[in-house]
Amino acid sequence: MKIKFISALISILFAILVAGLGYTQILRHKKYLVLSQNNRIRLVSIEGQRGRIYDRNSTLLVGNTPSFDVFVIPQELERSVDTLSRLAQMLGILPQEVFDAVQKNYTAPFAHILIKEDIIKEKVLMLEEARLCGVMVKVRPRREYKFKETASHALGYLGEIDRGELERLKGYGYQIKDFVGKTGVEKNYDTYLRGEQGGVQLEVDNRGFAVRSLGTKEGAQGRDLTLTIDIRLQEFIENLFFNKGGAVVVMGAATGEVFALVSKPDFDPNVFLRKERKVEVSGLLTRPDRPMFNRAISGLYPAGSVFKPIVAAAGLERKHINSGTSFSCAGRYNLGENIFECWDNKGHGPQDVRHALKNSCNVFFYQLGRAAGVDDIALFASRFGYGVPCGIDLAEEASGLVPNRLWKRLVKKEAWFEGDTVNLSIGQGYLLVTPIQVARMMAVFANGGSLVQPYVVKNIGGVDIITGRCKNTGISKGTLDVVKNGLWSVVNDETGTGRRAKAEGLSISGKTGTAQSPKGQNHAWFSGFSPSDEPKIVVTVFIEHGGKGGLEAAEIAGKIFAEAGRRGLL
Amino acid sequence: MIDFNGLDKTLIILVIIIFAIGLLCLYSASYNKSIELTRSFVLRQASWMLIGCFILLVFLIIDYQKIIDLGYVMYAIGLLALFLVILFGHTKLGAQRWVSIAGFNIQPSEFNKIIYIIVMAAYLGHTRARLLNIRGLLVPIILTIPPFALILAQPDLGTALILAPIFFSMLFIAGGQVKHLLALGVCGIASSPIFWHLLKGYQKKRLLVFLNPNADPLGAGYTIIQSKIAIGSGGLFGKGWLAGTQNQLNFLPERHTDFIFSVVGEEWGFFGALALIGLYFILLKRALVIIERTTDIYGKLLGTGIVTMLAFQVFVNIAMTIGLMPVVGIPLPFISYGGSSLWTTLIAVALLLNVGMRRTRF
Repeated sequence: MKIKFISALISILFAILVAGLGYTQILRHKKYLVLSQNNRIRLVSIEGQRGRIYDRNSTLLVGNTPSFDVFVIPQELERSVDTLSRLAQMLGILPQEVFDAVQKNYTAPFAHILIKEDIIKEKVLMLEEARLCGVMVKVRPRREYKFKETASHALGYLGEIDRGELERLKGYGYQIKDFVGKTGVEKNYDTYLRGEQGGVQLEVDNRGFAVRSLGTKEGAQGRDLTLTIDIRLQEFIENLFFNKGGAVVVMGAATGEVFALVSKPDFDPNVFLRKERKVEVSGLLTRPDRPMFNRAISGLYPAGSVFKPIVAAAGLERKHINSGTSFSCAGRYNLGENIFECWDNKGHGPQDVRHALKNSCNVFFYQLGRAAGVDDIALFASRFGYGVPCGIDLAEEASGLVPNRLWKRLVKKEAWFEGDTVNLSIGQGYLLVTPIQVARMMAVFANGGSLVQPYVVKNIGGVDIITGRCKNTGISKGTLDVVKNGLWSVVNDETGTGRRAKAEGLSISGKTGTAQSPKGQNHAWFSGFSPSDEPKIVVTVFIEHGGKGGLEAAEIAGKIFAEAGRRGLL
Repeated sequence: MIDFNGLDKTLIILVIIIFAIGLLCLYSASYNKSIELTRSFVLRQASWMLIGCFILLVFLIIDYQKIIDLGYVMYAIGLLALFLVILFGHTKLGAQRWVSIAGFNIQPSEFNKIIYIIVMAAYLGHTRARLLNIRGLLVPIILTIPPFALILAQPDLGTALILAPIFFSMLFIAGGQVKHLLALGVCGIASSPIFWHLLKGYQKKRLLVFLNPNADPLGAGYTIIQSKIAIGSGGLFGKGWLAGTQNQLNFLPERHTDFIFSVVGEEWGFFGALALIGLYFILLKRALVIIERTTDIYGKLLGTGIVTMLAFQVFVNIAMTIGLMPVVGIPLPFISYGGSSLWTTLIAVALLLNVGMRRTRF
């Protein structure tokens, strides 16, 4: 009887065990299975090669070169510190640096720690021969900007993803420590250029040591880009600048494709990829002349006289004047008590719109501007693309500013005065434009009334893309012809302000500009197109503190036209 | 001549099957040689089994009555050994449990379990009429306290606690009054706060972790969490022999000794674990049949103590691997690696067989 009791007790205990096992192994199996997988499987990512970038003639601009980088694998490192000291000696660096690198960057026993990037081939051979346990040389593709500073602003540079970017891009497979485009094409087309992430699945033991690899997914290469830029032309233009600051835009008159986009001073994007060049990076980022700043699309400047064709167009289109209407210039213009001067105080005498453009006569435009009024000028400025980003496929583009009555009331808390209109008539005052906006405006005259959308990428991974969309401004042919006529005289007339832009064998039209800078010497502008009758390209030159637009800016533009002609762009 | 006709062959076969399963698990637990364990575990366990067979034979050939007669002598030797452990023992995992004798590390607390059963059988079989009176419990309690205290002092909470169910079941069979036993049990539980203070830090931690394993997931809770992951991830059919990731990748601590059942659960799944539990269950039921059939009170008491010990060890060991019991160091009979544990259980089986074989003489 008592034995039966003990027997029953044992049966109950065993029933409890069976129930417990059933609960653990059947009901909660899935949960524990996941936990056991998490225990043992780690993913190490392999970066796919980033897409290459070519210019319009298939010249490689940005590629990837093998970089021999030295890594340490903590789990294979022998306990003694000797290996690291020997490694340091072979690499010619201080042992302490190696220890620090290992200590700082340790994440897991199997995770490779970068000790030194891009060592020379002799050292690679030396290391291979030494067969140091736990040290390996890996070949990694490293971004290489073949032309260094040339076109650096259009191309952009790469940098480690920052917190904000990571937050935004996490959903698209971006990870911490990824390199992403920070500016230029590298930034705008990052998702195309970026290689597809591959990875190795490692099985690890309880200490996190890799036991074996479960599978590898090779990363896929990113897509290659072909730019509209002609790197030889770009190089040619950059060499014209020496050490001046400024910007140049060379653009298809009817298409908006950008053949050259220069911003000076510039930078070498390769610097950002090397740890040992950190000092140079901070220099680039803090220099007062701002080499990282893309003046061609982000620089805001007063337009000066390159704005005058718009005032002319507004006057003609709104029938305030016709092609024969003359205003007289006595070298100065009185508005109440204020005196506005012409740049030539001898005066230009009576002249029509063509001559006024040729002479860049301020007094003519003061009067025309007052006749047209700020509303019409602002309206036409907008129709020619000022005051809004031009929509180029590069980041950090500035909008510029077209002032009007409402803007002045809201921002300056003041009424619009007639003097403001007078200033606006010659592209001064509150007006701010970017070089690419000036180029776009000039293209409207060149192509017969279309506002193009500039672009720099024309082909992604072998597929042609159409990014540039044209918009009809609705300006009448008559108006455009009158202005074009004036622009032709600017360059081709004996006394034209832009005569220095002339290039042999080419017909060029254009407009100079001398913009008053709030400090220092005036900025110089020249914007024009060629050939004059059937324009193919637009060239806009802007030189910071370059003095009169009719001098160096026009000269540089002439050389650019000549080079573009040699390179078959005309 | 000794008559082996009454020998329970089923019991022997069950022990052999369970031991064989144990060797397979041990092989798997020590399979990955890149990790601390070496394969010699299997060889050593097998050689202990060989020696164990001789010990088993000795305890089978000698009449269990004679063994019980020697109970008090063994009791004295056992206590002496426990003293020696405290004085000279090796320390492993914060506990002094082992003494070296002739090059072997021996764990006297294991043998003291079986000695305790023998001495209790000797005393209770002789004086069971006194048990009707509550004062009759006095001597059994006095017999229990020295080994209990010395084992607890090592400290080895699990082994010490095994003595409690043995004590109660043997007194119950010997004729102790249920109300007395209940009262004693209540007293024991009521006095547990005193024992709490006697516990070492790591033991307190283990008990707290039992209540909430996630309180210290990398410390005291690590073992139990990893064990549950191993067993749970095994599912119905298991991951296969030598294919348990928790086991092979060393996530399971103590997997060759106290947590060997986690290996069974992970690699052989629910059905494998069920089969092993079934084998233990049949073994215990066979043992109970032997006890039932024997008319000799000494044999009954001896058998009851042994069955209680084995059942308690199986239950607590498996229950702790799935988190139903706190982690106390109790080996799984015939399977956990360790010579002292194996020999003790083999002696237990020998005594059971001994009782079964000789019942006809009375």
